[in-house]
Order: sequence, then structure tokens, then C-alpha cells
Amino acid sequence: MKKYFSILTMQVINNLAYPGDFLGRSISIATFIFIFAGLWRTTFAISNTNIINGLTFPNMVWYFMMAETLELGRPRINRTISEQVKNGEVAYILNKPYNFLLYHFSAGLGDGIVRMTLNLIVGSIVAWILAGAPPIPLGWLMAFVTLIGAWILHFCFMALIGLAAFVVEETNSFELIYQKLVFILGGFLFPLDMFPEWLQKISYALPFPYMMYAPARLFVKPDVELFWQMLGGQVIWIAVFVLLVAFVYRRSEKYLTVNGG
Amino acid sequence: MKQLKFLVALWKANIQAAMEFRAAFFTQVIFMMINNGVYFIFWVLYFDKFTEVRGWDINAMMLLFGITASAWGIGAFFFGNFISLAEVIVGGRLDYYLSLPRPVLLHVLASKSIGSGMGDLIYGIGSFMLSGYFTPDGTLRFLLGVFAGVCIFIGFLVIVQSLSFWLGNTVALSQFALSALLTFSLYPSALFDATTKLVLLTLIPAALIGTIPTEFVREFSWQSALQMTAGALVFLLLSIYIFKLGLKRYESGSAIQTEV
Repeated sequence: MKKYFSILTMQVINNLAYPGDFLGRSISIATFIFIFAGLWRTTFAISNTNIINGLTFPNMVWYFMMAETLELGRPRINRTISEQVKNGEVAYILNKPYNFLLYHFSAGLGDGIVRMTLNLIVGSIVAWILAGAPPIPLGWLMAFVTLIGAWILHFCFMALIGLAAFVVEETNSFELIYQKLVFILGGFLFPLDMFPEWLQKISYALPFPYMMYAPARLFVKPDVELFWQMLGGQVIWIAVFVLLVAFVYRRSEKYLTVNGG
Repeated sequence: MKQLKFLVALWKANIQAAMEFRAAFFTQVIFMMINNGVYFIFWVLYFDKFTEVRGWDINAMMLLFGITASAWGIGAFFFGNFISLAEVIVGGRLDYYLSLPRPVLLHVLASKSIGSGMGDLIYGIGSFMLSGYFTPDGTLRFLLGVFAGVCIFIGFLVIVQSLSFWLGNTVALSQFALSALLTFSLYPSALFDATTKLVLLTLIPAALIGTIPTEFVREFSWQSALQMTAGALVFLLLSIYIFKLGLKRYESGSAIQTEV
């Protein structure tokens, strides 16, 4: 475990070494929250109501802040794995005394901790200015717990997409489609509460709401029953995807061809 | 005429290069179309619930997506380096273009093609055709709107990335400018207050790419025609001027490079 912790620490230090990059990311989250707040302010104004499907305007802005924090902080390890497979670097990593996937998990977590913390700070400031005070501490607690499960699920998907490079080489397109599925069915752009009932049922049967809707919705409207439902869903989907990633990884190793040295 | 022939030759070479890996190219095209389609579901759900927002409905949104995606697609497919110019400048890769007797900016921009841009272009045309504004005069206005959009996309990003001549590495700033321009251009500016609208017409000219051309296609007005044309001309000419100005400060890294 110690070596994986060192990888995580190293990645945190790496991230802190580029303050310019830091600033760029914080401007991004501020911009997105600003646009989203504009859309919902207008929507609430023309609907002449303070509450739509149980959510108020401040709820919507803080919901989006949490969702955006996760989206901008999720690991992009698919790109790293894909690149390592294509340029052959994977051959050097595989013979190192650590597990390939756990290495990427630790490195991704190091990236994620820094990015999400920054997004959370900048996002909270912007959301506070646009929509007023943040949700109650119970919301923060429930969001934090489900954020861990959501992050692991994101990692599993990213690992699967990255490992696909062993077979198809070009994996960017898969990431784009995956991202949009999370945007829509995961409730990133539109909380599931706003969906028609038939689409809510479809979404709940898939892993995407547990990766985005769970922390964001519990953050703005903490609900004990929903919390256990979401946590249970995360545990089941994590079990399924961890097994799937392990299986795909073993199969991928067989595809590996290393030429020369 | 000479420059046009040169451009056509570059595009031909880019298409031939893409056809070398045609399976990968067509995958990128198809996936980009699916990607845009899935993203648009958000607006389908939104307008299913709220029907109309300040004069904007689902058809107007399809038109807005059609114009923006087409403009972006043309830029990406035919002038692919317009999103990576800063990297070219910072990496000292202008040496190659400077050594040839061709317009440097035009050569840099058109010497790269992003395959997925074709997916955006096809999606954009399809979205326009389904929007309900697919009439002879609507098509003409759509083409003008897309043309203005291409000029503004390229002009604005060239200006931002040319700052690399003075500020050094502006890759992060350029990525922000790109993401802000693209994101804002996909939202109707009717959603925002007066100050933000002014920013979207000037500092981040997203309204000139999305909202104004959409309003122009929906209903002809001299005001939107003038705003679009002036915006396209100003950004394009300013970008050429600033790039040329910056080029005087360019310092080669003397790196050995191969351009394929």
C-alpha cells in the first residue's frame, strides 16, 4: 500500500507544480456555473415559480456546482493508458513491481484530489455569489461519502475505455460518448427529478446516476432514504465493474505485442 | 487565385492522409455525430418541460446547433490548426512554414485536418434540415451565418493564441478561450443579462457565432446581417494583423523537426 500512497503523493505534488494550469481550470468551472445559473434563473423567472419538481434556483446552482466539481475532477486515465498502449510504454510499466491498474488508480486519485478540491473552492465561491448560502452540513457529508463511490465508478469506466486501446487503438470517441451518457442519463445537465417518469426508470437501471446524480442531489437535498438507496446502488455497480475491469485487463494482456527493445 | 489553388492542394493532401486510415476516420465522424446527438437530448428534455424560453423553442435550438456545429466542423476539418496554433508557436514549429514561399498563417492553419470536424459538419447540416428553416432563402442565410461563424471562430482563436508571441506559453489560456467560446455559442444569449450579452458580442464573441446567425436565419434583419458581417471581417482582419505583428517577435528554437 505504501508504494501506491507514494504514487498518489507524487501526483499531488506534480499537480501543484503548475499554477497556470490551476488557474485555467478554476476559470472553466466559474464559466460553466455562470452559464448554467443564467439558464435556470431565466427558466424560473418565466415559469413564475420558486420551485420546479422539488428543486429551487439555489438548489439547481449548487447541484450543478457539485456535478461540475466531479466532472472536471474525474480521472482521465483512459487517455494515459491508451497513449501507453499505443507508444509501447506499457511494456516498461508492466514489468515494474506494482499492479498496472492500481498504479493508475493511485495516480488518478492524486490528480482527482487536487482538481476536485480546487473546483470545490472556486465553484463554491461562484455558486455562493450567484445563488446564496451553501447547503447544510449533512448535505456535504452525504455528498462526500457518495463522491467516493462515484469517483471509483468513473475510474472503472475510464480504465475500460483505456484498455480498449489494446484492441481498437483509437479510444477518444468512446470517451466522448461515455461523457455524454453521464451528462444526460447521469443527470449532470438536468437532475433526474426533471426527467419524465419513463426516462427516470431507464436511468436508475443504469450505473450513470450513481456516478453523478447521487452526490449532487444528496448535496442540495440530503435525504437518508435516498442516501442508502444511492450508496447501495454504488456498491453493486462497483462490484460489477471491478470484476469487469479485472477480467478485461487479463484479456488485454494477451493482446499485447512488444517488438524489439 | 494562387492562394486558393494552394489551399485546395492542402485540403486534398489532408483528405488523402485521412483516407489512409479510413476506418479510423469514419469512426471519428460517426462518433462525433452520435456525440452531438446525445448532447442535444438535454434540449429535447428541457423544451419538453418548458416549451419556450424568451422566444426560443426546440426548432430554434436545432438551428443554433446546426449553425454552430457546421461552423466548428468546417474550421476543424479544413483549418485544423486553429485550435493548436499556440502549441505550434511555443514549440518553435513555425520554422518549417517560414522557410516556404507561402502565406504563413494560411499554411499553418490548413496544414492540419481534424477528422471529427466532418462529423460536426454533417450533424450541423442535418440539424439545420430538420429545424424547419430549410427553405431556399433560409438555406442561403444559413450558409452566410455558417461562413461568418467560421471566420469568427478562426479569427478569435488566432488572436488569443497569437498572444504566445508576447506572453510565452498561452496553451492553458487558449484552451479556456476555446471552451468558453464553444460553450457560450451553444446557448441563446436571450438567457443572459445585458452586460453578459455585451461580453458575448465582443470579448468572447460567442453570440456572433450562435445567437445572431440563428436570429438571422429565422428572420432576415439588416441589424443581424450587419453584426455578423462586421464581426467576421473585424475578427478575421485583426487576427491576420496581430499574427503578423507577433511573427516579428518569433524566435526559432532551432529544433530539428519533420512535418508530415
